[in-house]
Amino acid sequence: MKPTIIGYYTTRFGELWDLSLTDLLREASFGALESAGIEKTELDAVVVSNMLSGILENNLHMSSKMAEILDLHIPMYRVEAACASGAMAVQVACQYVAARPGSTVLVVGAEKMNDYAPEQVSTALTAAASGEEQESGLTFPGLYGMMARAYLEQYHFEESVLAHPSFQNHAHGALNDNAHFQRPVSLEAISKSALVADPLRVLHSSPISDGAAAVIITSKPVKQGATIAACEVATDSISLKHRKSLVSIEATQIAARLAFEQAGLTPSDIHVAEVHDCFANAQLMAMEDLGFWSTGTAGSRIVEHETMIGNGGSLIVNPSGGLKAAGHPVGATGIKQVGEIYLQLMNKAGKRQVRNAQAGLAHNVGGSGGTAVVTILVNQ
Amino acid sequence: MISPVKIWRRQKKVRELLGRTAQVLTYTNVVVPPLAQKSFAPYVVVLVEFEDKTRAVGQLVDTHEIKIGDTVVSILRKVREPSDDGVIAYGVKFKKIP
Repeated sequence: MKPTIIGYYTTRFGELWDLSLTDLLREASFGALESAGIEKTELDAVVVSNMLSGILENNLHMSSKMAEILDLHIPMYRVEAACASGAMAVQVACQYVAARPGSTVLVVGAEKMNDYAPEQVSTALTAAASGEEQESGLTFPGLYGMMARAYLEQYHFEESVLAHPSFQNHAHGALNDNAHFQRPVSLEAISKSALVADPLRVLHSSPISDGAAAVIITSKPVKQGATIAACEVATDSISLKHRKSLVSIEATQIAARLAFEQAGLTPSDIHVAEVHDCFANAQLMAMEDLGFWSTGTAGSRIVEHETMIGNGGSLIVNPSGGLKAAGHPVGATGIKQVGEIYLQLMNKAGKRQVRNAQAGLAHNVGGSGGTAVVTILVNQ
Repeated sequence: MISPVKIWRRQKKVRELLGRTAQVLTYTNVVVPPLAQKSFAPYVVVLVEFEDKTRAVGQLVDTHEIKIGDTVVSILRKVREPSDDGVIAYGVKFKKIP
């Protein structure tokens, strides 16, 4: 019995001043249980994902904090893999339910980022980079800025192509009531926004968000749900300098190849995808590394907007608004991506519903490419 | 967190990286810095490859004008705000060779 997702809940993403990390975890956990129509006592385990609370809030031992929220004594595991923490938690849950047929697991992820100054959050996020990178003053916009510079130079694209992923993701975010930003943004505004790490600008970059998301995964036979046909992880060196390529993410390529093999599908079988767009160039690399577009062509294809809702394309990308517009509460992101694909397959995505979506893919990256998780969902 | 011992351990390895020429593979100009580098911002960081094909990252000094393929040399500079104990952290930065 393949793992099946039977419930999903996401909080609003954004600046949630009146909610704590505990509030967010509670809302998402009980929301997902209600969505699945099960009681908490039917859970066999919990996997919780979070990156920054240990650094920012002096808040660890998350398994016990979740036990207090749920008032349960079952096994609980905390998973951390930087921005890929969420999908990594989904992967751990898939292993758990596969190892124990007939079991059910809650996967919940949350992040609380807006309580702290941007420099504090930026510094905490650099914990996911190498010591040498931290000492050089490289931030995550800096690391992706280096990859963006290399990509533009190698394939001879103008900087203006970087505006198109954000343009598309903001258009989608306007259709998502839970998105951090629910308004379209013009290509001109994106290209004229303030520089963060050359050539990347504010509007090429995912925001600092609060939020939580949760899914329920089971290996019990169920009447309704989305089947996880594959959930594969691949890793690579923490240092950008040790990677084979500066214009692609090898961990994504490996995880995608394994996931498509496991699912018995090819990229052309996918109708809807949530790809990791922490920065505009990350979406360009993702489209190539996942096999949707051939190497070096994303810069020319993205400007056609063929992956936008309403343009008649065979593959819709980031209907939730992606990390850029839906927001990026780090520990929640990978779970929200999988949850968005679940909504699309269950025909519950409302204004942003992709018609006849039968197979979908979620792609979550940690750091500058040190971890990648590719999950493929299909209709039962 | 940074500690004097951590700075000492790291600095033992810095010497072998100094005075070497390298090619710039890519670069960025960081406008929004982390706390430890706030006083340097904005600054250019380069990813370089030495002649023996090993690589390093570090800030560029004296100029913001750089392009892929330029030649730089590694030099010793202060790399971050001092630790709370006042220990100054030295490390590798790069200087453009005309």
